[in-house]
Amino acid sequence: MTFQEKSAWGSLLALGLVSYWYFPAAFAAAGNNGAAADLIAISIGCVVALVIIEIVYHVIIASRGGGAKDERDVFINIKAERVAGFVLGIGLFTLVGRIIAIEAIEAITPVETMGALTIAVWILFVLTVAEISKLASQVWYYRAGA
Amino acid sequence: MAKTHVRNNIRTLRFQHGEMTQQALAEKVGVTRQTIVAIEKEKYSPSLEAAFKIAAVFGEPLDAVFSYEPGSR
Repeated sequence: MTFQEKSAWGSLLALGLVSYWYFPAAFAAAGNNGAAADLIAISIGCVVALVIIEIVYHVIIASRGGGAKDERDVFINIKAERVAGFVLGIGLFTLVGRIIAIEAIEAITPVETMGALTIAVWILFVLTVAEISKLASQVWYYRAGA
Repeated sequence: MAKTHVRNNIRTLRFQHGEMTQQALAEKVGVTRQTIVAIEKEKYSPSLEAAFKIAAVFGEPLDAVFSYEPGSR
């Protein structure tokens, strides 16, 4: 397994684990009016945790050699970026559609609209899913022998 | 993953060059061993530069190492 493949595996697992913990807490904090401070604290905590995990993991795998990208790594990265772009596009269009739909329904009958913090967390969620898609695609292409 | 349309004789040429290992070939070409494995299994088409480098390692012209077979699987 090359350094780049190990890197993709590690980043995928780290981001998956941190996201699994972060998003339920972030959505709960965002839904709680006036809890912006809670959301910021949770977000900073998760970013710091993710950065520490990534640094420690990459120092460990770098100490075992490798690191330079070759042409196949670049090729796989381009293909994975394309998957991530597709997921990001679908996710953002879905989110925008949902916001518009809720606003349109709210004009007819009272419904609970999304607050700015909730929308912000949803955008972050879509970005994270796109990144996870990219990392999962990289792992798949490496395993499939692309 | 499906094979590419680019066929190669790398395995045979490695054998003919004193059982050259994939790692040794990878180091001479400047790619990882996994990339050589993927090229040899015809799951990855190398760049033109990498293809020329591989041919140069074996001292063969490009078309003695690689061939293109459209439509074949």
